[in-house]
Amino acid sequence: MSATWRSVFTYNKYAQITARAVRNSLKETERVAAEKRGLTTVRYQHWENGVGGQQTVLNPELEKAPGKPAV
Amino acid sequence: MSALRLISSAARRAPASFAVARRGYAEAASDRINLSLVLPHQAIYTSSEVIQVNVAAATGDMGILANHVPSIEALRPGVVEVIESGSASKKWFVSGGFANVHPGNKLTINVVEAAPLENFSAEAVRANLQEALKVAAGNGSEEDKLEARIEADVYEALQHALGSK
Repeated sequence: MSATWRSVFTYNKYAQITARAVRNSLKETERVAAEKRGLTTVRYQHWENGVGGQQTVLNPELEKAPGKPAV
Repeated sequence: MSALRLISSAARRAPASFAVARRGYAEAASDRINLSLVLPHQAIYTSSEVIQVNVAAATGDMGILANHVPSIEALRPGVVEVIESGSASKKWFVSGGFANVHPGNKLTINVVEAAPLENFSAEAVRANLQEALKVAAGNGSEEDKLEARIEADVYEALQHALGSK
């Protein structure tokens, strides 16, 4: 089939792509709940000497659908 | 004299009790396999005894019965069918994952997304497939085209699953 993706994507990304495809094919009622499962947000913070620095959100504009999967 | 005869006869009788002790057969007689079908957000089956599980492995479709040899199989996006008893079977379309048969008659299937076939909309699948094929044949980046190709494969597998229910 498409084993060619192995040279471009990691297995994790492949799994996220297929999961997203399955979610997009559900009936309208289930799809809304499932879409939320596809969203991931990352917030990171640098710590030094026991003090946490500024918390920054990676990709704050996640409202656009369907974003690129993580990794 | 009679006491000696009694003891010796008792000694001859003692081994008989060992022969009567029964051997235990653990799960060798079971005709059901212990199935756990889990998603990151939901557990569909948790250690349930089922008769047969049909999965779409990357190396080909396979049916897993009780006492299957331990193996690890990567799954294609496809249908997982669980036969619990009699002729009733339930089907889910899974996005992909792994099916692991453990020693001791245990099967765990870990998938990322799964839903019963009736939760899918054939209309949505058709539209998605057209969209994906358009991108795959278009002139985007190699990555985008490969991504669309992967999605198209999933939609085609879905159409096949929904069509031949």
